Amino acid sequence: MSSENQPTAAMDSLLQALQVNIIPNQEYLLQGSILDTQVQRLLHRLKGLCDNVETAPEQFFDYEVCFSLRAPMNEQTLQMQQAPPPLLLRVRRSNDPADSHMPFQLRYIGNPELGDAKRPTLVRASFDISCSPSIIDFLTEMGCRMEFEYTVKGYLFRKGRMKITVSKIFKAMNMNQEPLSQSYLVELSVLAPSGSDAVAEDMRVFAEKLKPLVILEKIDYKRLATVPYD
Amino acid sequence: MGVTILVPYPLEKKTGPEVIEDLAKRLLAMQATPAGQFLVDGDIFDNPTMNKTKIHVMHNSEYPASVFSILDNGQKQIPLITDLIFDLLMLKVSPTYQSKKSLKIESKGPRYELGDFLIKLGSVTMSQNQNFKGILIEVDYRPCLVPALCWDLMREFMQGFLGQHAPTTVPAYFTTNIPMNPVQHFQRYNDTYQPIDTVQQYLEHFNNFRKQTQAPMMMTPRN
Amino acid sequence: MENQINTALNAIKNLRSSVSNIFETTISSDISQLIEIQDSIAAVSANFKDVEGSINNLTIPAVPSLGNTAFLNYETDLEKQNMYSELVNGYKWYEKTHQYSSMASTMLQHNSLKRSYYSTSNKRRRLLTGAHTVPPKLVDQIISTFNLNNMQLKIYRPFATNAFLHINLSRVLKAAIILRGLMIEWITVKGFNESLDNVDDHWTESRYAVFRKVQKAAHSAMLHFYSPTFAELAIRSFITWFGSYSTLFSEPCKKCGKHLLNGLPPTFRDVRSLDPIHEECRN
Repeated sequence: MSSENQPTAAMDSLLQALQVNIIPNQEYLLQGSILDTQVQRLLHRLKGLCDNVETAPEQFFDYEVCFSLRAPMNEQTLQMQQAPPPLLLRVRRSNDPADSHMPFQLRYIGNPELGDAKRPTLVRASFDISCSPSIIDFLTEMGCRMEFEYTVKGYLFRKGRMKITVSKIFKAMNMNQEPLSQSYLVELSVLAPSGSDAVAEDMRVFAEKLKPLVILEKIDYKRLATVPYD
Repeated sequence: MGVTILVPYPLEKKTGPEVIEDLAKRLLAMQATPAGQFLVDGDIFDNPTMNKTKIHVMHNSEYPASVFSILDNGQKQIPLITDLIFDLLMLKVSPTYQSKKSLKIESKGPRYELGDFLIKLGSVTMSQNQNFKGILIEVDYRPCLVPALCWDLMREFMQGFLGQHAPTTVPAYFTTNIPMNPVQHFQRYNDTYQPIDTVQQYLEHFNNFRKQTQAPMMMTPRN
Repeated sequence: MENQINTALNAIKNLRSSVSNIFETTISSDISQLIEIQDSIAAVSANFKDVEGSINNLTIPAVPSLGNTAFLNYETDLEKQNMYSELVNGYKWYEKTHQYSSMASTMLQHNSLKRSYYSTSNKRRRLLTGAHTVPPKLVDQIISTFNLNNMQLKIYRPFATNAFLHINLSRVLKAAIILRGLMIEWITVKGFNESLDNVDDHWTESRYAVFRKVQKAAHSAMLHFYSPTFAELAIRSFITWFGSYSTLFSEPCKKCGKHLLNGLPPTFRDVRSLDPIHEECRN
C-alpha cells in the first residue's frame, strides 16, 4: 500500500481489486429458446416477473463481431500436434443511432468451468470492457481474425442482479434482415465477482418460474461443436 | 481537461531531485498551490512473430478509470481508450503478446495549480530498477480545448516559468500532418484536444528516453 | 407468504403440463391408449385439487381498493394489457401536478410580492406592455435575426414562456442567457467541455476561474446595455459585445500587450471598442 497522496500504479490497484473479489469476472449463464409465435407470451410473463415493471421492456438492437487470436506455434505446441485454443474476443455496438455516443463493448469469454455438474448454471470467465470505436481496427492490426458477425435485436429485462434477454439473431449487414431461425434466444445471466455462487441458486429459481414456456438450461458447447452442420 | 504541452527539461549538471526542487520553489514563488501527486506509466507489449507491431498500454492518474493503448505497426498508430479491465485482458493475450518489463517507464511527481493552469513536474524512471532517465514537465491549460487558440498564451506562461528552456515553437506533435484518408490531412493544432493527445505526447517522449542508453547529463530540450 | 405463492405457482405449472400431456396423447389417439388418457385425466384432476388447495391457503394481501381499474385484471387481450402501465403513469403525473400546484399555492400566499400578474377579479385588466412581456413568437423572431460569426444560438424553454438562449461561441465557451420577454435576467458562462444541459447547471458556477470572471463581466455589461424602452437594441448590442469573447484565449490585452496577468487572460471587453483588457489594466 502506498502513502496517502501517492497515486498507485493502475495495474497494482487493479490486481488488488481482483484479490478482494470486487471485479465482476464470472458469468453465470442459462440459455433456452422459444418459437416466434410464442414469444409474446414469454415477454408478457417476464414483464410481470421483472423489476422494470412500469417502463416497457428495454429494447436493443446490436451488432456483434467475434475475433479470434491464435497464439504463435512454439516447440511445445508443435510437439502436441495441436494448436492451443484461440482466444475469442467479441465486440458489440448498438445499431441504434440514438446510442451513437455510447462506447463499444469488448468482451472476453473463457471456457466453461469444468466439474460443475452440480452447479445449477454454467459458469465461465468473462470480462466486459467499454472501449472507443477504434477497437475493431485495433484488434485487426493486432493480428486477430474475424470469425463471424451478426446483428441481434430484442428485449432486456432486469430482476435484481439478473439480466434476462429475449433476442432474435439476424445475419449481419443485410438490409432485409434475414433471421437465422424461427425462434428467439432467451438468456438469463449474471456477471459477478468470483465466489458469488449464491446467485446461481436465484437463477435456478427464476428459470423454474418460466417453465414450461421456455426451458432454460446449461448448454454444453462442446457437445454442440460435434453436431455436423453445413 | 484542456490543452496540455509536454516539455523535457535539461538537468544541467544537477541531479533530478534538485531540479524538481528548484522548479517547485519557482512555482510556489509564483503563488501556485500544491495539488497532490501524479503518475503516468507506459508498458510495451510485443509479439515475437510480428516484429514491428507493438502495443503501448498507458495509464494517466488524471483519468484513473481509463487505460490508453496505442498500437504501433511501424506505419500507423491506432489509439484505443478502454476501461481498467483491459489490463486483465492483456494478461490473457500473454501467449501472443508479452510485456517487456525492462522497458516499462513512468513519470511521476508533484502537481501544482496556478489559476486555471495545472503544472506537473515529472521524474522519468525506467524498468523495475527505477533508473532515472530525465525530467518531463507537463503544462495544462484547462479551460481551453483548441491548441491553436491558446498556444500564444501558453508560450507566454511557459516562458515565465521555464525561462530560456521554454519551447518557442509549437511542438511537432501538433503540427505534423496526419493522413485521415489518402486525400485528406489534418493537423492536431486546430483540432479539439482529447485526453489521448496527452498520452500520445508522453509516448513520444517515453520512446525517446527508451532509445537513449546512458544516463542523461547535458540534455537539450527538443522543440 | 412467499412460500405459499411459490407452491401455488408450482401447482399451476404442474396442472398445465399434465393438461398438455393429455393433448399430446390424444393426438396420436388409439384405443390402446385409452387407459393412458384415463390416467392423465386422473392426474389432471389431482393436480387441479392441488391448485385449489394451495389457492385456498393463500391469504389475500390487503390491497387498497383500485376502483374500476381492478377490472383490468379480467382483460385477457395482450395488447390491451398495456393500459395498466399507461394508467399508472397517468396517475403518477396527476399526483405530481397536484403536489406541485398545492406547493405553488402556499408559496404564492406567503409572498405578497406579486411578480405574476394574476387577478381573481373579473375586471378587465389593463394590458401591460414592456420589455418583459414580449410574446414568445416575437422573441424567437428577433433572436433568429442575430447572425454572428462563430456563434451558434439555440432557444429552449424549460419554463413555459420565458426563453433560455444557449450560445456556443466557436470552441471557446458556452453561455446561457435567461430572458424574461426580451429583458436579460441572468447569464451563465461555462467552459466548452462543461455541461449546460441540465436546468440546474444554469445556477452553478464554472469550474474555471476564467469563465467565472467572464460571467461577472457579462453581468456588468448586461446592466450597461439595459434599456427598458429599446429592449431589442439592448439585447442586440449585448450579443454583439459578447461575440467578441471568441478571441478570449488568443488575443492579448490592448493595454499591457500581454496574454496573462495573475494567471488569467484578458477577461474584460471594452463595451464600445470591444478591445480585450485585463480586469486590472482597466484603470
